[in-house]
Amino acid sequence: MIRYVTRRLLLLIPTLFFVALITFALAHAAPGSPFDKNPDRPLPQETIERLERLYGVDRPLPEQFVLYIGNLLRFDLGSSLVKDRSVADIIGSQFPVSAQLGLQALLLALAVALPLGVISALRHNSALDYGSMAFATLGTTIPSFVIAIFAIYLFAVNLKLVPIVGWGTPKHMLLPTIILSLGAMAFLTRITRASVLEAIGQDHVRTARGKGLSEQTVIVVHVLKNAMIPIATIVGPATAGLITGSFIIETIFNVPGLGREFVLSIARRDYPLIMGVYLLYAFLIAVANLTVDILYGLLDPRIRVS
Amino acid sequence: MTTLGPIRAPLALLVVAALLLAACQGGGPTTTNPIGQIGSDQPDPNGELITNLGSEPDTIDPHKASFVGEIAVVMSVFEGLMTLDPKTLRPVPAAAAKDPDVTPDGKQWKFTVRDGLKFSDGSPLTAKDFERGFLRTCDPRTAGDYAFVLYVVAGCEKWNTMDVRKASAAELDAAKRAVGIKAVDEKTLQLDLIEPAAYFGSIAYMWVGMPVKQESLDKGGERWTEPATYIGNGPFKLTSWKHNESMVFERNEHYWRGPAKLKKWTRVMLNEGAVAFAAYRNNEIDTLGVSAEDLRTIESDNELRSQMRDVAGSCTYYIGFNSSRPPMDDPNVRIAFARSFDRDGYIRDIQKIGAAANGGFIPPGIPGYDKDDTAQRFDPAAAKAALAKSKYSGQAELRSVKFTYASSSRTKTRVEWLQQQWKNNLGVEAIPDPVDSTAYTQLVKKLETTPLMFILGWCADFPDQQNWLTTVFHSTSTVAKTGWKNAKYDELVRQADRESDKAKRDQMYLDASRMLSAEAPAAWLYYVTGKIMIKPWVKGVTTTALDSVLGQFRMWEVYVTKKG
Repeated sequence: MIRYVTRRLLLLIPTLFFVALITFALAHAAPGSPFDKNPDRPLPQETIERLERLYGVDRPLPEQFVLYIGNLLRFDLGSSLVKDRSVADIIGSQFPVSAQLGLQALLLALAVALPLGVISALRHNSALDYGSMAFATLGTTIPSFVIAIFAIYLFAVNLKLVPIVGWGTPKHMLLPTIILSLGAMAFLTRITRASVLEAIGQDHVRTARGKGLSEQTVIVVHVLKNAMIPIATIVGPATAGLITGSFIIETIFNVPGLGREFVLSIARRDYPLIMGVYLLYAFLIAVANLTVDILYGLLDPRIRVS
Repeated sequence: MTTLGPIRAPLALLVVAALLLAACQGGGPTTTNPIGQIGSDQPDPNGELITNLGSEPDTIDPHKASFVGEIAVVMSVFEGLMTLDPKTLRPVPAAAAKDPDVTPDGKQWKFTVRDGLKFSDGSPLTAKDFERGFLRTCDPRTAGDYAFVLYVVAGCEKWNTMDVRKASAAELDAAKRAVGIKAVDEKTLQLDLIEPAAYFGSIAYMWVGMPVKQESLDKGGERWTEPATYIGNGPFKLTSWKHNESMVFERNEHYWRGPAKLKKWTRVMLNEGAVAFAAYRNNEIDTLGVSAEDLRTIESDNELRSQMRDVAGSCTYYIGFNSSRPPMDDPNVRIAFARSFDRDGYIRDIQKIGAAANGGFIPPGIPGYDKDDTAQRFDPAAAKAALAKSKYSGQAELRSVKFTYASSSRTKTRVEWLQQQWKNNLGVEAIPDPVDSTAYTQLVKKLETTPLMFILGWCADFPDQQNWLTTVFHSTSTVAKTGWKNAKYDELVRQADRESDKAKRDQMYLDASRMLSAEAPAAWLYYVTGKIMIKPWVKGVTTTALDSVLGQFRMWEVYVTKKG
């Protein structure tokens, strides 16, 4: 097990290298310059060229890439080309916010989706089942910004239950956490329901029932444990997706997170920030997948990790 | 990331969602305090103002700032040698004790720093601190977008455009020493210009010349713009900056005019217009820049409507013509296009918030605005007559004229409206040609690629005719290559730039401005104006064409009364 984990962690190094290479190539392939910020006010070409020289963006791309990797090995992510801040500074102050909001949303999603999915499956074709599937369908199809704006008008403007401006207190975090979790919640409910339904119909469950085990034991030990595998597969990447921040939720709710920063960095061709955030995301997704793989082994001894 | 899709689509939909909501809420009662119930008119000594800065500024370094939000922050924490009279927008002394002494040849300007000036930390402020500020703008390593306005100072352009990778330290140092910015003593800053620049007083108000403490730069390094080292001499000091969330300013007790009436000024960063509007209705922010989407809701609500006021703007949008290519090389064709769309109708139907450009290039509120300039007034008969006189009359060139624009749904609506006007009033077919916005900015930089017709906006850097007539339309302009060159115009504006007699100078610019409208290298489309909402408990607000969303001038006078 330890050897397996070590090997997977070592594999991260080439993985991140190739992510860096591909991101670098794609970011620079997009036309436009990080220095031409204002579409209404194009800067003279000479000024842009001078700025590109000053920041070394005019050097041949392979040379820039080698320089970047060299700095990366010294844990230097460089400075933003657009903002007056270093990339490490931006990630350091903005990522924890997205991570906290994402984890809260994930926990909320799990807390609702798992019981709801299981109960729906156990009461297959009941009113509750139809109700929860209706919720799941709505939750995945209504875009979060529509719900977000609606929620703001309802809960903040009309009912005055929560404030709009600011961040940090539980009251501020309530709406964005709930709305961010809705998508994952709906999706997880469907997956849980489907997995449990599938597990219930399997032979070993029938055997367990035949042995005369209590219904509770059958569900918890034999059904749920098997149903967890597809759920774990989804939860891993979903975690990475939630904690890296959402552009829409962060924009609407004034959340000082990294998701918005990341989308804007691409639109503005802020190469060092794009690279820094992409590498962080790649790292998080790799770690999430590794965690899921380890969990598989614990949930199902048939899946041998080594 | 949960969302990697295009940014524009969801935001456009968001606007739709907001409109639906607005429609639902339209005439309904609101829950904000009616004006009558507001307490006294006396300033609350502990008053706090909360405004919205929009998105987080990329930089608040005075020598790098270039966007409205960035400049607004700089202007509340720093004060230049000059400021602008809010009524005329002409320079008046601020940190300087009096108007500058200018030598008869107009090339040497001496500013005397006011006695007893202090930074907000209580340390003394001298001419040396201004010298450091001006020099820092010219420094190639600062790489600020606005360095070009100081190119009129001897040696600044040469130093600023040096290649810092190739030049040796000694070369850079020599170039720095050659720059004509010198503190000759504790009180006097002397600037040597390459030519008599009558507009330099207006430049001395700008952020490029803000004083800075050496200690701030040394101690803060790359992060000197964080509150601990971001120390200025303006009415407020920055006491907290939560990135992407809010900035807090408190009154500077050492400000020479006396402490500001506000104790605290919080600027939050709400990016989304619909959310900012909700926050304003919720009394969570005290002022709001009104967007066209919110206008209907506000106008149908008596209370909201009473809180709205009009403000002038400092930008003009225009339709540029490439005067080097047929059929736009014929001034008759250009003037025909310029006179055949209804500017008042455009504001009514399309722009909603804005003013019809029924004058010259310079918008109302900016010195040089000419309301009597009728050369481009809407007149279909005159337009048709001009077209008939043109050598392209009835020719193939006029059958389809390409109209290039930066692709967005908003601009598309504008372009299609114009297309219809030209078709109806002139009988000419303009062909809309949308291109990606990044590619679009590249196109107008070279005459060879400048489209036949395009839309651009120009906003004042500083309020002087030079910044409009010379900077944008002199034949050597780098703003947009229209290919228009008129030797008489070029000479007239350059002469006016140097003229020290104010009345004479204004007259020369006026003549040039009329010449420009008549030759029509561009058709003036509309003047940007704004509408802002101000809560009834906020008093003493001065707005000018330069700060449509509250911020630059006389903020020390603003106060709030106790709410309710």
